[in-house]
Amino acid sequence: MKILQKSELKAWKKAKKLGPKKTIQLLKKQGLTGRGGACFLTGLKWELVKNAKGNKFIICNADEGEPGTFKDKLLLEKNPENIIEGILIAAYCINTKQAYIYLRGEYNYLKDSLKKTIEETLTASRSSLKIDIIQGAGAYICGDETAIIASIENKRGYPHFKPPYPPQKGLFGKPTVINNVETLANVPLAIINKDWNDSLRLFSISGNVSKPRVYEIKVGTKLGKIALLAKAKNIKAVCFGASGGCIPYNSNSIINAEHICKEEAMLGACSLIFINKKKSMLDLAINIAQFFNHESCGKCTPCREGNTHILKLLEKIKSGKAKQEDIELLEKLSITIRDTALCGLGQSCTNHILTALNHFKKDFKVR
Amino acid sequence: MQKKESIALLNILREIQKRYNHLPEKEIKKLSKKTNIPLVKIYETASFYSMFSFKRKGRNTIRLCNSPSCYINGSLNILKEIKRILKIDINQTTKDKKYSLELTSCIGCCDKAPAIMLNNELIGNITKAKLRKLLK
Repeated sequence: MKILQKSELKAWKKAKKLGPKKTIQLLKKQGLTGRGGACFLTGLKWELVKNAKGNKFIICNADEGEPGTFKDKLLLEKNPENIIEGILIAAYCINTKQAYIYLRGEYNYLKDSLKKTIEETLTASRSSLKIDIIQGAGAYICGDETAIIASIENKRGYPHFKPPYPPQKGLFGKPTVINNVETLANVPLAIINKDWNDSLRLFSISGNVSKPRVYEIKVGTKLGKIALLAKAKNIKAVCFGASGGCIPYNSNSIINAEHICKEEAMLGACSLIFINKKKSMLDLAINIAQFFNHESCGKCTPCREGNTHILKLLEKIKSGKAKQEDIELLEKLSITIRDTALCGLGQSCTNHILTALNHFKKDFKVR
Repeated sequence: MQKKESIALLNILREIQKRYNHLPEKEIKKLSKKTNIPLVKIYETASFYSMFSFKRKGRNTIRLCNSPSCYINGSLNILKEIKRILKIDINQTTKDKKYSLELTSCIGCCDKAPAIMLNNELIGNITKAKLRKLLK
């Protein structure tokens, strides 16, 4: 895998030589986009914060919680050096002395090795940056950038409405850069490798496959090729995590954001869960609805109350007592939550139902 | 007194939870005094996160992942077996206080589904046989 190449501070030295402005320019030219799912230009994000005056912060989002996603874990295990170097370069470019790594509670076993890498990298680079690890404690919502801020501020992990965006008003009210682990690991490589390519991504492949693992694949690869790699057989659907929704399996489907969008699903952080023909999409919908019911933070009404009713309706369909009007209500409620919820979790938590109703209506039987 | 911005409450709560298998009132009060964070604020924050509990848990916590990848790879069969061996239900603790059982959202082990978390350790490709050995 190209992403596992170690920069060994070569990029750091190059960035120091270039200066912040030219380093940011280089990243923009290379086209590095955020790996968290929003695909925002990383260089542009840094520039917004660089130009702000006063205190500012960097947060490395290592709260990888999307079901079916485990690529950041691989990077934290196999190439933490590049992640720290990415943070160093970001800190240098925006001119800050304080960075945070928000490590999800479930990855606590990585804390000590990460700490060691931080110390070694900071010593070797002779940087005065301070990098603190904040450990999450089991809240999916804290992967949201505004919730992560609240969590580091010692509050409940409630997201807030955007704008203001974190680069304008972030941690402790100061301009803040929040980057995903994979984005930061790519920073050094984009700086030192001329042939670095933004479309090469880490895909987390799991589900009904014999070779589940992280694959480094170009965005735009055909689904059939990915299924072949992971040895997936008798597949009927592919889910993009829990929040991205699902599409029916078609070996010719092109896996990029635009194509997936046409099917009303979301590629997000490139997590593909293959579902075989023995499984019912209704059972899966119940499983995912349980997840969102549990993980809804409770701040806004559509998501908090809506998800309870979504689960009830799905269970009613499962019990065989549902009528056509229940399906209609399920669809209406799903759309309402999507359109009125406050944060990304709420706006995407019913994608799986809307796409399943669209493509697999047969699995949702009514009287 | 430390500057408020330099206190990482979640990290401290985690240490307390680890030491006592829950967040005892006495410790929270002590923490409040030491950090000058009001007691109610600490409770407000702590009660949000699923890894903190105010009720005492077992010495070991088993968290079974029930997110899609584990679910379609048979996590519910594993759940049945854990319940059978330990004779407890979800969110309960064994009489000898050795184990507590919980369901958890995705723990990032989808490539080793089904998976569990035993305290801090992630254990993948869990089978009934592996489980029997583990919980002996």
